[in-house]
Amino acid sequence: MTDRANVITVKNISKTYHLGEIQVRALREVSLEIRQGDFLVVTGRNGSGKSTLLYQLGLLDRPEKGEIDFNGTEVIRLSDKHRRDLRLKKIGYIFQNYALIAELTALENVMLPAMMLISPLEAKKRAVDLMEKVGLSHRINHLTKRLSGGEQQKVAIARALVNDPQLIIADEPTANLDSIAAKDVMTIFQTLNQKDGHTIVMVTHEQEETVYANRTITLHDGAIV
Amino acid sequence: MIQETKIPFFLVWRFLKRGNKWTFLLIIFLMAIAFINLVFITSLFSGIVESANSQIIDTYTGHVSISPVEGEKFIPHATEEISRIDATPGVEAASAQVFLPASLTYKNRSGNWSVIAIDPAAEKEVTNVAAKMTAGSYLDPADTDQIIIGRQIAGGEGVEMNAFSFKGATVGERVTLSLNGQTKEFTIKGIFYTKFIDTDQRAFITRGALNELAPTYDDVATNIVIRITTKGEEQLVVDRLQKNGVTGTFYTWKDVAGLMATVTNSFVLINALLTSVGILIAAVTIFIVIYIDISSKRQQIGVLRAIGIKSYLIRSTYVIQTAVYSVFGVLLGLGILFGFLIPYFNAHPFQLPIGDATLAVSSVDLIFRTELIIWVAILSGLIPAFIITRVKMLDAIFNR
Repeated sequence: MTDRANVITVKNISKTYHLGEIQVRALREVSLEIRQGDFLVVTGRNGSGKSTLLYQLGLLDRPEKGEIDFNGTEVIRLSDKHRRDLRLKKIGYIFQNYALIAELTALENVMLPAMMLISPLEAKKRAVDLMEKVGLSHRINHLTKRLSGGEQQKVAIARALVNDPQLIIADEPTANLDSIAAKDVMTIFQTLNQKDGHTIVMVTHEQEETVYANRTITLHDGAIV
Repeated sequence: MIQETKIPFFLVWRFLKRGNKWTFLLIIFLMAIAFINLVFITSLFSGIVESANSQIIDTYTGHVSISPVEGEKFIPHATEEISRIDATPGVEAASAQVFLPASLTYKNRSGNWSVIAIDPAAEKEVTNVAAKMTAGSYLDPADTDQIIIGRQIAGGEGVEMNAFSFKGATVGERVTLSLNGQTKEFTIKGIFYTKFIDTDQRAFITRGALNELAPTYDDVATNIVIRITTKGEEQLVVDRLQKNGVTGTFYTWKDVAGLMATVTNSFVLINALLTSVGILIAAVTIFIVIYIDISSKRQQIGVLRAIGIKSYLIRSTYVIQTAVYSVFGVLLGLGILFGFLIPYFNAHPFQLPIGDATLAVSSVDLIFRTELIIWVAILSGLIPAFIITRVKMLDAIFNR
């Protein structure tokens, strides 16, 4: 065991999707602890509940049962307002499909969440630094639709980092990328974790990406195996 | 808190600048069409009503007319009364008229039309019949055997009431006027066409001609028509005339309008009805267009929520965006209205039996309709944005 503090403690959460008459139990009594500085990789087959677990950890969805403790605060029954506040300040979420705003440039996409907390000028400065960090300083003024998949994912990573979150959640961030871009992205995650001490939870299908992690869990039919 | 309020403007500017230009133009065009539809129908009906009213005032009754006191046939001492009327504040001009119980005969056709004896100079200041001559010329005060007749009396091919007219009398031809057993030959000096059918069934001779035919009518009037300086102050002027000692029975043009008043009142009602329908159609059209536009941004809204942007800021973004659409739409609509439609219909008015109708746009109507379009657009933006910021975040993000 380690003496690092828990960022998230998940206790017996369950989630069921209702598809018409059919009920799909996406998560079954899942319990999990994520400690400060962890690089946790979640693996499993399609439909095993990996993404569903990330949505609960990222406060994008609520489980029906169980508890999620984020830094000592129980977040499942927290109001939408407080959960949004936590998403903004404490969690950086990276989607598989990048989820960038098409009408904004790479820089503007990154600075947008920061503008909720600081002035546009400061947000811009912070975004420029992050774009440099992910190796995209030459593409800051490009609209995201003009960027490659790998570049878009780097923009999404920079956006996730802009408010200096405690937890970074990445849902199959390399799924749509070629092997070179995927390696680039994984190197960034490794740096964020090992050099900057960010806590990362990442879902992947790629077995070779588990080498970047210091912890791995596997889900099967909604349960950790 | 203050920082975050900049976000909607930050986003709107970029959405407008970098969004789909065709969508932007289409929405603005539809807004402009909805705006024009609202303004056009109202303006057309206002134009018809205004045209009818102007015709009554300018060719028929003036703003105010005075008839003899009840039980009397004439207004005596007409010259004196005219002087008193002219001296009254608010009066621009006055003309004494004598309606004659006369008949006109041309070749073998005759009929009873309104034959009116006037002082041509004074009449010119009150009505604009003099400016509506289509053949020949207007009366001069010295004309004693000249008559001018309306198009509906002269008749001819294409004339609305040709069957009851002289069926083609022309300038220079002779007509016979019969009054109380006396007859006098007149030469048709001119034919006028005011496009107001009641006026076009009138004929005018000079006071001088009447004095030669029947001296008993000297210095009397059956009617005095008055033009005032400011339309709308008719009652005020009537009060002043009465205070000034002018006697008679006073009527404003609205009192005399008769059938025309019924017609214009009907137009006002139809206008109100069509405006209500127009408002409904504009509201529904704008709502559908904006609703579809905002609903297509469902995923974008979901992402904005996911990254922590407050719902009220997201809603404000789309409300501001639709407000901008509506302002551009109204501006385009105004451009089309004032740059094309109004000049076009001024040059090519709608020709109606009551006169030529152009588009009469009132600033009050324009402001009301502009506000209406903007409010409908804002509501149309707010409702879908509100709904999408309330649906499950994952459903919005993944467009489920």
